[in-house]
Amino acid sequence: MLEMLEYDFMQRALIAGIFIATLASLSGTFVVLRRYSLISETLAHSALVGVAVGLVAGYNPMWMAVVIAILSAWLIEYLRSSFALYSDAVLAILLSGSLALAVIIVSLGGAFNNSLFSYLFGSILSVSDNDVLTIVIFGSLSLLFLLLFSKELYFIAYDEEVAKTSGVKVNFLNFLLVTVVAIIIALSIRVVGSLLIGALMVIPTVAALQYRVGFKNTMLISLFFALFSVIFGMTLSYYFSLPSGATIVLCVITIFIISLLMNKR
Amino acid sequence: MSLKFKLPIFDVENVSFSVRSQTILQNISFQIFHGEYIAIIGPNGGGKTTLIRLLLGLEKPTSGTIRIFGKKLNNFKEWYKIGYVPQRAAHVDANFPATVEDIVKMGRIAKRKLFSSMSQEDKEMVHDAMLKMDILDLKDKMVGTLSGGQRQRVMIARALASSPEILILDEPNTGVDVKSQQRFYKLLAKLNKEEGITILFITHDIGVIADDIGRLFTINQKATICNDPKKELSCEDMSELYGIEAHLIHNHRHEH
Repeated sequence: MLEMLEYDFMQRALIAGIFIATLASLSGTFVVLRRYSLISETLAHSALVGVAVGLVAGYNPMWMAVVIAILSAWLIEYLRSSFALYSDAVLAILLSGSLALAVIIVSLGGAFNNSLFSYLFGSILSVSDNDVLTIVIFGSLSLLFLLLFSKELYFIAYDEEVAKTSGVKVNFLNFLLVTVVAIIIALSIRVVGSLLIGALMVIPTVAALQYRVGFKNTMLISLFFALFSVIFGMTLSYYFSLPSGATIVLCVITIFIISLLMNKR
Repeated sequence: MSLKFKLPIFDVENVSFSVRSQTILQNISFQIFHGEYIAIIGPNGGGKTTLIRLLLGLEKPTSGTIRIFGKKLNNFKEWYKIGYVPQRAAHVDANFPATVEDIVKMGRIAKRKLFSSMSQEDKEMVHDAMLKMDILDLKDKMVGTLSGGQRQRVMIARALASSPEILILDEPNTGVDVKSQQRFYKLLAKLNKEEGITILFITHDIGVIADDIGRLFTINQKATICNDPKKELSCEDMSELYGIEAHLIHNHRHEH
């Protein structure tokens, strides 16, 4: 384990990974409890459009991913509240629509190569100093939001209307939550990849829910599962030359299966 | 009545509400004063829940005005003064990760300032609310594992934790056994008498509580207000006064 830490790229990947595990699992708790699980998948694919634009136009792909994912999150909220559409159908349409758009942009720009592949599945080798900086800055802001409003977000997840009648600014906080989720997902695709980040956001919480404990403990268990999966997954990925995102996701799914069996009623 | 010198908690004036040209509530006016104990009855689809949703600001009236503590709904900010227990209260998602204490603590959020965690006062209020509802021993239990009656008391404790001046309950006894219901009505009456908390609730079993309630509203698109249900459950005199038909109560009593 110590040997791998001698490499700069592994240090960068671990810092990024620990940040992302923390953010994904904390925001994931609210996403799962609000039955928003699919939004993470959709935003991950929208982030890919940003990556495609970045790769083709020569901008920083992660910054572009953040911008497009946020715009997509707002579009989802708008469509959901302004038209008579099923919200899961909105998510499904935007998911495939985004992927199609990303593929077209990349192929028109002639950038269909390994670098796109690394954004699909995550690659610890490719995390740059700049990426770490972006993750730390945006990640800290997102973390601040989640910690400041965790009680309100929990109340909204429990019962949106009762929260509203208690004076909680439900619409505003919903809007901020999807924005923060969009940012977190865009930041994650470097390490975990856009096809796999949804799993890191949703599965640690679903695994933690199996233990049937209160809010705080559910969050802490979910955080622990996410951190463990990211660190253990990256270690395996280093020693066996496996793609990092896929290894991390298999770790977290293993934890989920164990949790499910341990708590079988 | 000295209560009348104070501003009414709710002042509803000529309120109507319709959805897609279908009238749900028509020209309703009433006032609710501090310390009152009011039951709302009426047939399903008669607009009882809609009326409560209007009072809570969850729906906007098509016409008319609603004042809360003297302020128009849009300007009203002190939501902690109102405790709301919705109809589905007893049906919590069994997997939702919440202990009894987690739920009751939510009641303090309306009073919370940003950047501050639970103060000593918050903790005391949460403790008091659980004590009053007799659920202190359940504090660390997961709500999903409780009985309907226990959950109901948890939901009321949550509403009480913000030290409200009025409790609004929407058919709180749905899915609760008879014994728990009786206990529940005793608790409500006690809160009203001893704590002076105003109580407004929707029910369909008016017979059980007729002794305690001060006024009875019947809602079926229009409202009929019965000021002394003990003496005149028929409401006929009142209905003449208000010019509204009051056939509801009789029908309702025979239904059950």
